[in-house]
Amino acid sequence: MPTNQKIITMSVSVNIKMYRVGELGDCFLLCFTNGPEKTHVLIDCGSFWNNEESKERLKEIAADIKKQVTGQKLDVIVGTHQHNDHMSGFIHAESIFKSIKPEQVWLSWLDDPNPDNKLGRKIGEDYNNYLTNLRHISKQLNSSFFAGNHEQKQKINDLLGFYGINKNERANAKTDKFPAEIPARAREALQKMGKKKPAYLSPGEVFNLPGITGGAVKVYVLGPPKSEDHLYKKEPRKDETFDHKLAINAVTAERMLSAMKKLTGTTKTKNDDAPFPFDEPYRKSKDLDKVEKLYNKEKWRQIELDWLNQAEQLALWLDGFTNNSSLVLAFEIVKTKKVLLFAADAQAGNWRSWKEIKWKKMPADFNWITLMKNTVLYKAGHHGSHNSTLKEGLDNMTHEELVVMIPVERSDPNLTKKKDPWQMPATNLYKEMKKRSQYRIIRMDDGISKAKAWGKLLHQPSKNDLYCEYEIKE
Amino acid sequence: MTKPRYRCLRGYTIDPGFSTRLDTMVINESIYKIKWEDLEPGPIGEYLEIIDFDPVNYCFYEPVDLDSKEILGMSGLAPSEGDAQFHQQFVYAVIMQTIENFEKALGRKIIWRSNLVWKNGKADEAQEYVQKLRVYPHAMMDSNAFYTSEKVALLFGYFQAANKIEGSNFPGGAVFTCLSPDIVAHETTHAILDSMYPRYMENTNPDVPAFHEAFADIVALLQRFSNTKLLEHQIEQTRGRLDEYSIMGELATQFGQALETGRGALRSAIGEYDKKTGKWKKINPNPAAYQNAMEAHDRGAILVATVFEAFMRLYNFRVQDLLRIATQGSGILPQGSIHPDLVKRLATEASDISSHLLSICIRALDYCPPIDITFGDYLQALITADTDLSPEDNNGYRVALIDSFRAWGIFPQRVKTLSVYSLRWFPPQLTAKEDLAMSLMAAHIKDDIREISRLTNRELIAAKYKVLQKKLHTILDKPITTLDKKWKSSKLKQKDWDGFLKNIGVVKNIKPYSIPYSDGILRFSANPKLEVHNVKHAFRKGREDQQLEQVIISLTQTHRVESGEYRGFKFRSGCTIIINILNDVMNVEYIILKRFDKDVRLIKQADYQLGIGASMTMPISSYDDPRKSINLNFQNLHAH
Repeated sequence: MPTNQKIITMSVSVNIKMYRVGELGDCFLLCFTNGPEKTHVLIDCGSFWNNEESKERLKEIAADIKKQVTGQKLDVIVGTHQHNDHMSGFIHAESIFKSIKPEQVWLSWLDDPNPDNKLGRKIGEDYNNYLTNLRHISKQLNSSFFAGNHEQKQKINDLLGFYGINKNERANAKTDKFPAEIPARAREALQKMGKKKPAYLSPGEVFNLPGITGGAVKVYVLGPPKSEDHLYKKEPRKDETFDHKLAINAVTAERMLSAMKKLTGTTKTKNDDAPFPFDEPYRKSKDLDKVEKLYNKEKWRQIELDWLNQAEQLALWLDGFTNNSSLVLAFEIVKTKKVLLFAADAQAGNWRSWKEIKWKKMPADFNWITLMKNTVLYKAGHHGSHNSTLKEGLDNMTHEELVVMIPVERSDPNLTKKKDPWQMPATNLYKEMKKRSQYRIIRMDDGISKAKAWGKLLHQPSKNDLYCEYEIKE
Repeated sequence: MTKPRYRCLRGYTIDPGFSTRLDTMVINESIYKIKWEDLEPGPIGEYLEIIDFDPVNYCFYEPVDLDSKEILGMSGLAPSEGDAQFHQQFVYAVIMQTIENFEKALGRKIIWRSNLVWKNGKADEAQEYVQKLRVYPHAMMDSNAFYTSEKVALLFGYFQAANKIEGSNFPGGAVFTCLSPDIVAHETTHAILDSMYPRYMENTNPDVPAFHEAFADIVALLQRFSNTKLLEHQIEQTRGRLDEYSIMGELATQFGQALETGRGALRSAIGEYDKKTGKWKKINPNPAAYQNAMEAHDRGAILVATVFEAFMRLYNFRVQDLLRIATQGSGILPQGSIHPDLVKRLATEASDISSHLLSICIRALDYCPPIDITFGDYLQALITADTDLSPEDNNGYRVALIDSFRAWGIFPQRVKTLSVYSLRWFPPQLTAKEDLAMSLMAAHIKDDIREISRLTNRELIAAKYKVLQKKLHTILDKPITTLDKKWKSSKLKQKDWDGFLKNIGVVKNIKPYSIPYSDGILRFSANPKLEVHNVKHAFRKGREDQQLEQVIISLTQTHRVESGEYRGFKFRSGCTIIINILNDVMNVEYIILKRFDKDVRLIKQADYQLGIGASMTMPISSYDDPRKSINLNFQNLHAH
């Protein structure tokens, strides 16, 4: 700290390490310092691909995290949502994390197994059935009956990649269920990992960060939304969270699967055999021949496999839903009001719900915009995809010291594939983030941006092979 | 023996979901009177081929033969959700009814979008005539239905109702989108609109996708309101509660709900049910909504609500006298049911207004620009079209429309006052020489136009349109060689011709040019291509028995960016030209122009398609670049 500045005895600073997982993935270690006090918060640890390389890298990272907290505690592990690229580390490096003995794990209210959490449990149940059906659908698509629809298969497999599913995994012959997906296993591991019972957080909660006295750092919970209104809204938007669309889509996935099974001759249950949508089977007649001929005449108008497009829609929807189930946290350094915003993979629906949060024990004029305006560190949502940063949110990030961290890896095969590579970060959003932050961007792949505006800050970011690091001082 | 004029077919009045409720059961069945045509089993007729292939079950359902004695004798099959043949009959009836409404209003035959023939990855000039719209009543297992221009087909889905869906669905039962007259009319309208304006599939400003959705809803809604029986029932139900909006408004709200899973634009723009009391209440027009709603359905809802507002204004105005008579001037009806005669009269008024309004709305399409439409353009088109056909406007249709557009805050650009006079498209402002060029062009196609008016076969008409398109293209491009002697005697110069072209949105001899945009450059290629889309002929009748014969020409010019960061960006200019034919003289009445406007319109479009705003308005997957999705895709647009 420059000597000409007034020395304050108790000043809070935060060190943020963005671990370089080498592919798409999130892993952030935060260290809050308040004089002699230190609190470590780990937000997510995962990467997309689950190959040997990924596992090795995650172990290396976990070992480093252990080193960082040696002699101190890992106070909190946050598991934001059920995707592999945020959770796989807790499986692949489970023993290391166990040996760190974290104090407590934070998950969202959706993960709370308490029987009173009827809503969360019901959603969880629908969700699991949906995912299971989708995995079956993906298997069915490989049947020769559906030969030719390669693009579909690829797209669905890409999306299922978020669950770290091994392609060769087979469903149990009796129950028809697959082994649990990596994120589900990771959540289970996390639930057992903390010394204290896990905390299940809901939007609107505000509390002091453990380990820092006097409420010098506050935690605000923004998402995932919980209100009945968002859950059963009459006119759901595609990208909105938790509406009854989950139920409809879950039923649709189930129906779609049994139709596919029937076509490929792999029906198992009675339910699969029940005729749908008509009770009576169809008959063949002379008239029918004419229509059939007409149908076969013009190939360009046929609809053979078009209906399978829906599988992709279903997979995309589940993906959006999962991203929207992200636990979103804002940390505030109370004295300077500076905010660190960790949006996990929240998409527009999650962001939009922040408007309606009824904050507990906060003044009436406090709202999400206040948090946006004070944000000095924004962890970009969903690796910088276009619909995971609400425009209204970014427009309000007007703090002079704003820095954006984007956990994105340009060499990830999802981003380099020839057909429809993923756009992360999305061009326009990236431009806007650069503008807002005066080009102070820290990327997992490239490291620190070149920008004059870094000079305006008290601490300069740095990077090494393992992580990019930045510190917020008072 | 002469053929019958009509074929009577029984069908649902509204969604069968509603007909399982006691209060609407009595009106769940209507007779659809469809103009007679001989049909093959399918049904397959002049305009449609219904092919009931269900790829999910990989089977064909047996096609219905509507010409069979048994079915003719019963006015068609009885409505039934469990009978695929009834489904075929029903989509046939509703689509044909919609087509009839369009043909009547437009004064010509509907010709579907032609099939693009692809050669070496490029669309070939020679497009294939498509006689029949293909219809698949059971095309997928999804709560979706859509029109696809690639197949020139309507695809209807069916799905299993979730166990906990609210409303009147049978939990776990099958729901068929092809059994909702609203959905069928909506999708048919997409197909017809696309046949008229293929470029409306290009998402160049937020009004374009909204317009496609809204217009489809307007047609479906007004068709619903033309059903006298349904209106009678609704009026009777209200038991004297004749306050302004509730009767019709509730019906319109139900319409929005019938299309709930995303097909409709309407949703709750007109009114909504109070969560606690369950009572319907009106939503007042919000002039700020048009500025703020950017999503296609939200924005579209504003236009639907605007037209509905006009309908209500007309209805309230027209029934005043009836209510005075019925209440001895007090305006307050006694308790209890309304007199059945009054019910009938009120219903007839409402259905009359509806049919007229529907005609006006459809006709206005001919007065729209061929690209980049805005709601403001549509208002001007409505006013101009209606003025042409009903100069007097004794019943106040235009005033009602203007009032409700004002209430919803939709204003055309560059219009100084909201009066009928200033809202009308202006006659072209051409110099004498440009005017001469224009009349040379018109004269060049006159004989062919004359010939079209005598044709009845749609394929021949389509072929003739093609000839006309070519002819126009040639003369616009090379007037001197095309006109030869006439050119010489006209004493026109090429520069006069170019001046005329500028007035129809076409620029000539352009070298490559660049426009700085954002932190890059838009590099446009040389000599943008000219395209004559449509040459159409119309013979129509107005409210005041005014007869009108017109030729409608639409053309565009496309400026392309073929290299650099913004490769693939297209900017189009063009116009719709309306020529009146009176006593064999062709007179250019209007040029509805989208100018080659580099400074304002182009930048606006670029901001919309390439700018930061783009990322939030295109409803697509998180993994794609929002900047790519420039064409509308109804499957995605509807799959909300």
